[in-house]
Amino acid sequence: MSTRGARRFIADLLAGRRPRPFRAGEADLPELRAAITLRAAQPDGATPRAEFREELHQRLSAALATETDRPSHVAPARPSWLGANTTRRALVARAAGIATVAAAAGAAAEHALTSGKPAPSTAQETLTPNTGTWHTVSTSTELTEGAVQRFDLGTVTGFITRTDGAVAAVSGICTHLGCTLALNASARRLDCPCHTTSFALDGHLLRYQLAVPPRPLPTLQVRETDGVVQVYAPDTAV
Amino acid sequence: MVRETRRERASDESGSDEHLTQAAQLRVVSGEFYPDWEAVYRDNVDRMYRLMYAKVGNRPDAEDLTAEVFLAALRPLRVSASVPEVRAYLLATARTVLAGYWRRTLGREVTTLTDEDVLEAVPAQAETPSPAAGLAAAILEQLPEPYRRILQLRFLDSCSVREAAAALGVSVTYAKVLQHRALRRAAQLLEVKP
Repeated sequence: MSTRGARRFIADLLAGRRPRPFRAGEADLPELRAAITLRAAQPDGATPRAEFREELHQRLSAALATETDRPSHVAPARPSWLGANTTRRALVARAAGIATVAAAAGAAAEHALTSGKPAPSTAQETLTPNTGTWHTVSTSTELTEGAVQRFDLGTVTGFITRTDGAVAAVSGICTHLGCTLALNASARRLDCPCHTTSFALDGHLLRYQLAVPPRPLPTLQVRETDGVVQVYAPDTAV
Repeated sequence: MVRETRRERASDESGSDEHLTQAAQLRVVSGEFYPDWEAVYRDNVDRMYRLMYAKVGNRPDAEDLTAEVFLAALRPLRVSASVPEVRAYLLATARTVLAGYWRRTLGREVTTLTDEDVLEAVPAQAETPSPAAGLAAAILEQLPEPYRRILQLRFLDSCSVREAAAALGVSVTYAKVLQHRALRRAAQLLEVKP
């Protein structure tokens, strides 16, 4: 016997409406499937409306335009046979922040494209600017064992940690679409506020809910001299 | 691309070198590229919509899901790839999008995109009968006459219960009962013969 939710779902299908959500039981599924199969054979619904096609085209145009309006060093569309690495390296070397993010996203997508399905991309890169200087971001006494601190140099933002005495730094920008990561101190991880993505403090991907796994966070060169902790980063953006 | 590779494996279990050569040849044969994202969109939007329509059975959701797939997939797709690769990627995205839709609405995956669902197999022209139409026809054929007719009238011809009842010469109440039983029988047929 079908449930009330399932009957309403089928009535909605027949009326050409969007079916209302309900908690379906396992027993509901065969009839729902049959209803969908039969309804899908109905010729009127088989083609998308011209208005829908145009509207979506405009939405996509707008979405892609916002992306290309960003800084000029965003990766150009590039045939995959030219290889991901040349583009990515050149870009990583040229600029920090958004360029790294865009290139990383591009590389992940390319991987997905060439393998035919999303595949995890695990290579972690080090962000090394062409010209940069050592910027003091903390002091040795402040950065105690196990501590995590956020830094923002204008050109680069990230997190420094001390584990087993060693200091390490990772970028604080999500490699998916560039949202700023937040420190989740209790879970000792970096959370993206945009799409439920989390990274470990060393930059490795912990969880994601995307079709293509984002790349790990790039690391930054870090050193400890004369009681201060320094990160190698480009000079202040003009 | 994935499908082609799999097909080769089935027919050829020999060494990997030979396999690679074949893959390279296939790449050349199918080495067609989209000039830009608009071409990707124009060539695939109808197919994607029809694929989704076959899985959800209603226009508003099929349109939303189609939009979701392209919005999620086109950004990374700016990096051009061959036509089969682009389609494989769109399909992988579609699979995730459809699964998410069922999770949100009914909490269970009512339909899924399987390996048999390929964009190439979806006719771009609406006049061509879709695979969904073929399956529906096969089910209807196996049903007793009154069951077959009520489902045909209600689901395929979009008649109201009242219209269907009039066409069958039965009461509205009985038409509802008939529809319910017929759908249950169709469901049984569908379950044994996926």
